[in-house]
Amino acid sequence: MNELIPLMVIVPLMAALLISAFSKFNTVTKIFAFVVAICLPLIPLLSNYGLHYFGGYEPILDGAANMMYHPAITYSFTFLQQIFIGAIGLLTFLVIFIYLTKYRKVSGPYLFLLFLGTAAVTAMILTDDIFHMFVFFEILALAQVGIVAASSIDYSYEMALKYMVLGSIGSPMMLLGIGFLLALTGSVNVTDIAAAVHNGLVDATSPVFLLSLALIFFGWLYASGLPPFHTIKSGIYSKAEPHGAALLQSFTVISMISIVLIMFRIYASLPIFEVLIVFFSILAMILGVSLALTQTDFRRMIGFLAVGELGFIGLGIGLGTNFSITAGLFQALNEIVITALLFIGFGAIVNATNEVDTRKLGGLLAYHPKVAIMLLIGGLAMAGVPPLSGFQSKLMLVQASLSCGFPEISILAIMVSIATFVVFVKTYYTMFLKPKPNDLELEGKEVPRAMIFAMGVLLIIVILLGIFPDVVTNGISNFVGGIL
Amino acid sequence: MKLYDQIFNVVKQFRKLFSPGPVTNADVSGSLTAEIFLIVSLVLSAILLRHVNVLLAGIFTLALAIVLIYSIPLIPKFKIEQEDSLEKMLFYAIVTLALIAVFMYWGGNLV
Repeated sequence: MNELIPLMVIVPLMAALLISAFSKFNTVTKIFAFVVAICLPLIPLLSNYGLHYFGGYEPILDGAANMMYHPAITYSFTFLQQIFIGAIGLLTFLVIFIYLTKYRKVSGPYLFLLFLGTAAVTAMILTDDIFHMFVFFEILALAQVGIVAASSIDYSYEMALKYMVLGSIGSPMMLLGIGFLLALTGSVNVTDIAAAVHNGLVDATSPVFLLSLALIFFGWLYASGLPPFHTIKSGIYSKAEPHGAALLQSFTVISMISIVLIMFRIYASLPIFEVLIVFFSILAMILGVSLALTQTDFRRMIGFLAVGELGFIGLGIGLGTNFSITAGLFQALNEIVITALLFIGFGAIVNATNEVDTRKLGGLLAYHPKVAIMLLIGGLAMAGVPPLSGFQSKLMLVQASLSCGFPEISILAIMVSIATFVVFVKTYYTMFLKPKPNDLELEGKEVPRAMIFAMGVLLIIVILLGIFPDVVTNGISNFVGGIL
Repeated sequence: MKLYDQIFNVVKQFRKLFSPGPVTNADVSGSLTAEIFLIVSLVLSAILLRHVNVLLAGIFTLALAIVLIYSIPLIPKFKIEQEDSLEKMLFYAIVTLALIAVFMYWGGNLV
């Protein structure tokens, strides 16, 4: 038992509740939020790997059937959880740091939502209980709606409401699928369900089992923002505050991999499962990048690119080999960092210009050179230019699809990377390199230093992961070997 | 010249995509790239059907390529279908749910 494991969820959850309750004390709230935000990336680094059984109920061995049963809600903490919880903790810290330095009077409810979302995704990636995962998936959806609705951008309420309405279809379907699994196996523990399926206690060809996959899969599409939910997902990114959007996309990526890894453990024996994932991932890549190419609002453009990048993650997992899943999970980590960098960087430009239409911008390189250079490197990383981190994960994905006998997918992945490069170069040129329009006022508008600091930290990670990918990929590969 | 005229018409139709603002060279080149990318990527994806049946893949890919090329401009149509309208989002969500559920319930064992 390792008591630090549940603290990864309890600390942000308690912080959210306390900040919400005592938000009228502005200075105390700011200090408390800052201290908790620093702790978030440290807890997973200090914690040992292991399992935590809530209530202390250890697994029970059924001697007759020679099977283990898990009566407690179980949290599993391995290298994979460590890097993703560490990444989300670091990002939460940076986002809260930007928020605290931006406003003199902070909003308790907004900080509540940021911490609540962090607690929810942390629980989702730790848990070995599918119903527990669903509960936090719902909490996360509400936190996401709140973060969007709380932003000061026009029509943010409308977009948040639409996301909630669509969630009212996606979430119940997932719950229904979990209900079918419970009816078939008598358990909501993922290890127990997977054991029942693999030991033949559940007929994997039964229509009810297949339908449970369909329903949970549909809920996963909603959580991940893969088609048909790509439009709303890019929409909520564009209507959130830039630092909020950076955190929202990381919530999406972590909820995506949390759910798909659970599904993989249960349904991997069905070939249709991998076909479905690959199909929707390819669709996301094509639609995301095609629509990004036609955007004039650069926040929306990054939103669509983020959706397209999700397709790469799904592709790696859908191919189903150790190497491909490792590549997909590495791509997930890279996407969290790179997209956050881009959202914060472009947010800094919004902050300095109050403009989101690329056609009304220009000449920003002379006014904001630091932001311009960091955004350039971030964009190149997203497009997969060596030696940055995006290149390493995309190269692995191309190699994985080639070795699986799908050269078409490799070509498609390269094409999507090139198209991403085109999107970025087009936007970068119109914002930074073309002559400044006469009616654009830029004098005296500075980019907040907290944003530059956050971008710098994320940029260092992008470069380090690009030069030393083995630091992460070896550990992920070991984790994947355990679930295959 | 017919194909050239068709592409020229596509460029003219892009104007609607960017209204009410001005249409810049970068916007038009981006949209043309999107158009070509969409056609090539869909055709390329269709080749994956060779894992089911080579003949089916050949016929389907050829037919798809012809349909897509004769339907250009695709991007304005795609963009209209993927705007922020709740009705359209709900429609596609429900259609997708129905297709996945029906396909899995009756055909999940076929693949």
